[in-house]
Amino acid sequence: MAAPLLRLDHVGVAYQGVRRIGSSGYWAVEDVSLELHEGETLGLIGRNGAGKSTLLRVIAGILRPDRGRIVQARPLRIQMLALGLGFVAHLSGRDNAIMSGMLLGMARREIEQRLPAIREYAELGDFFEQPLNCYSSGMVLRLGFSVAMQAEPDVLLIDEVLGVGDAEFMEKSGGDLRRRMRSGMTCVLVSHQDGTIAELCSSAAWLESGRLVAQGPVAKVMADYHAAAPRG
Amino acid sequence: MRFLELLWFSAYAELKAESARSYLGFLWWLLEPAMFMAVFWVVFGLVLGNRDPDFIPFLLVGLTFWQWLKSCITHGSHAIWLNIPLMRQVRLPVLLFPLTAVLSDTVKFAFIFAVLLVILWSLGHPPGWAYLALPLVFAVELLLGCAGALIAAAVVPFVPDIRFVIENAMMALMFLSGVVFSLASLPEPYAAWMAFNPVVGIIESARDILMRGQWPDWLLLAKAGIGSLVVLAFAVVLIMRLAPRYPKLAV
Repeated sequence: MAAPLLRLDHVGVAYQGVRRIGSSGYWAVEDVSLELHEGETLGLIGRNGAGKSTLLRVIAGILRPDRGRIVQARPLRIQMLALGLGFVAHLSGRDNAIMSGMLLGMARREIEQRLPAIREYAELGDFFEQPLNCYSSGMVLRLGFSVAMQAEPDVLLIDEVLGVGDAEFMEKSGGDLRRRMRSGMTCVLVSHQDGTIAELCSSAAWLESGRLVAQGPVAKVMADYHAAAPRG
Repeated sequence: MRFLELLWFSAYAELKAESARSYLGFLWWLLEPAMFMAVFWVVFGLVLGNRDPDFIPFLLVGLTFWQWLKSCITHGSHAIWLNIPLMRQVRLPVLLFPLTAVLSDTVKFAFIFAVLLVILWSLGHPPGWAYLALPLVFAVELLLGCAGALIAAAVVPFVPDIRFVIENAMMALMFLSGVVFSLASLPEPYAAWMAFNPVVGIIESARDILMRGQWPDWLLLAKAGIGSLVVLAFAVVLIMRLAPRYPKLAV
């Protein structure tokens, strides 16, 4: 097997407790070692509070591990799929799209070239030039998704969101995202829906209380996961 | 490069959103400081009866330069704190947020400064060669503004309670910086202590140039510049040290 694109080596992340003087921290991720290969879609499963979202943030480089290390095969652009990043209600759809795209790491030129495509995809029409506070919530989601899809990171991290908007846009956005995941994009997906994991992922990792219980073929990991009675 | 592009656009977005929030829009950038200055003029000029004809330009120059610094620091103090949700979604250089606050306040200052010039000229303080030294004064104040904003921004997310202290600390600093009344007549040992306050050097230099038509006191300005650089260096080290901890904070 080829060398992994990304490797977590005994990674742990501690959070501080509530904002009180003298409160102690706790380990959201205690000890996780796993590998991510190029073109693979890895599904992260586990119960609420198992540390899945924290682990995604570690992979994205947002959180620095408090112990262990992350090894990248080469410099990688790793991003969470974030909708409506930095959106401001008083700015137009256009300005928000530029802002959001730049926060996602695109150059201003790059995002400006893609504005017509964004506008088209989000089905906003003339609303594109209007401030966001006169949008319906569905329109905001559509714009957010359209911008997020413009960023093309080396590794995409998805936390549950696989499509947005009304039924029709849900199908379009979800369909495009799934197509991209199947077409060789490297991806880590957190989901509580077995169907989604089974459909999209090439392997799965099961987290429990900040520790990795199993990593391997989806069917096997899922079966073990469901066989184990929920603790507590 | 990309950082500067992002910094510039976020300052633009912030200013645009701010002016879209009120009916008079960006006119408030001028009206608000004008009202603020009017209050001081009424209290210290009219009510307390300061007869010095130079009092008004003295006050206006002091307040204009003070407000710039103050807004950088108070505005900057919220910058990281308010953006923690953003920092949890995407990896961003933490300096972006306080520097955006400083940049947008600097743009506002540019407008106010233009108005200040017109007022000073009409009060009989014409421009002179000493104006050539103005960029230096701006640079020193910008350094100090960045330093103050960075420190405030770095600390507030950990101890949000400190916001209440900052407001009042700024007021104290204003009175200790000769903004409203001159510190020239200050008795020892207080006068000696004032040499450590870089704001005094900045504001006195601005007054020398704009009102008195003379070159600033270079030694005083140099001291302010060095002081600002030292504080800025400390601020950058502090914020880089703390940077990995912000995305973990609960908001």
